[in-house]
Amino acid sequence: MSSVHVDDLARIAMPDGFVWRPIRRHFGIRAFGVNAYTAAEVGKHVVERHTENTYGHEEIYLVLRGRALFTVDGNEHELAAGQLVCVHDPAIKREAVALDEDTVVLAFGGKPGVAHETTPWEAMFAANPAYLAEDWDEAIRIHEEALEERPDNAPLLFNLACMEARGGRTLDALLHLKRAVELDPKWAGEAARDSDFDSIRSEPGFP
Amino acid sequence: MADGYEIVSIDDLDRYDGWVKEDPVLRPLRRRVGFRPFGLNCWEANAVGGHIIASHSEVGGDEELYIVLRGRATFTVAGETIDAPAGTLVHVPAGTPRQAVAAEEETIVLAAGAKPGEAFEPKGWEDFHIAVARFRAGDAGAIDDMLAQHAHEWQGFYNAACLEALDGNADRAFDHLRRALALDPKAPREYAAGDQDFASLHDDQRWKDLIG
Repeated sequence: MSSVHVDDLARIAMPDGFVWRPIRRHFGIRAFGVNAYTAAEVGKHVVERHTENTYGHEEIYLVLRGRALFTVDGNEHELAAGQLVCVHDPAIKREAVALDEDTVVLAFGGKPGVAHETTPWEAMFAANPAYLAEDWDEAIRIHEEALEERPDNAPLLFNLACMEARGGRTLDALLHLKRAVELDPKWAGEAARDSDFDSIRSEPGFP
Repeated sequence: MADGYEIVSIDDLDRYDGWVKEDPVLRPLRRRVGFRPFGLNCWEANAVGGHIIASHSEVGGDEELYIVLRGRATFTVAGETIDAPAGTLVHVPAGTPRQAVAAEEETIVLAAGAKPGEAFEPKGWEDFHIAVARFRAGDAGAIDDMLAQHAHEWQGFYNAACLEALDGNADRAFDHLRRALALDPKAPREYAAGDQDFASLHDDQRWKDLIG
């Protein structure tokens, strides 16, 4: 058993201006997806613009505190504390910006009809502060930890290779990038465009 | 509801009392919006000091997360007391005893739960809770609706027996108990032996014949 107040959760600032407050990861929850989000300031994103096409998730966004302006499928809705939007269709674009200081949005999500699996974006988000600080050892550690649970996850392997390339671990980067491309050839094209691989692009074995 | 999404306020969720006034009040969220990936419901208490989360252990294997949306609750988890103002998250693994009472007026707790490693399927307890509330409110059709939804589960007939016994309808209570025992000869007997809902039946020969 454990408990925490939402204000005491970790704060992971993301480039789009929203701040990820990991709940599932904090507790090690395995049965469902749940996270909190805050905004860097009023008017900034509290939910990033996205669809759920990649994972097929159905999601609920609940305003725990403050107010947020949601745009769902092109329609604007101002939601106050206690109001929620349930987005059934994964293809629908959704985003929200904070209208009040200290606005908190809770996000619940999962794919109907299947057992919940931890999605790889959580490790990528968690590694963002280390990435920005160029702390490659820590960024690599976070990815390796996630890969212990999902060893054949191509996006995680690709991201790990990015961090290893930036950290000077050339052989590890080539190995993990090769594995990502084996699992899904689209990552060869992604690697060709990603500047994280500039230091190893001319190495033998680069896809 | 717009195509593909729906907006709801927790204040607009239906409200279903429990067996007695001190029981938690169910505000069904998952079924209100048709959310399918896992269980999600709001709970209230009828009064400060009343149960907002019933004493239970999730013996079926669900892990649960409780979030205090409004007000303040006092949780007791595995014997430890937790003061939980709005914004507090309490995670409890399966098999751990837990309960909570409301510490302020208008407290609302959101409960999320599912069994790790398994696809979620709604469980019958939501229908049973709603049937109890409807029956208590004078809706005589609540039992038939519950039994139609759960014709192959002993729990439906067992709960129907409880309601009829509490309402003084011994014949109907015994009929439901027999049907529960036909579906599971063991579990209903074990539960009934310690269930005070059946106190009015204890002197009846049929009770001795069925439960012992």
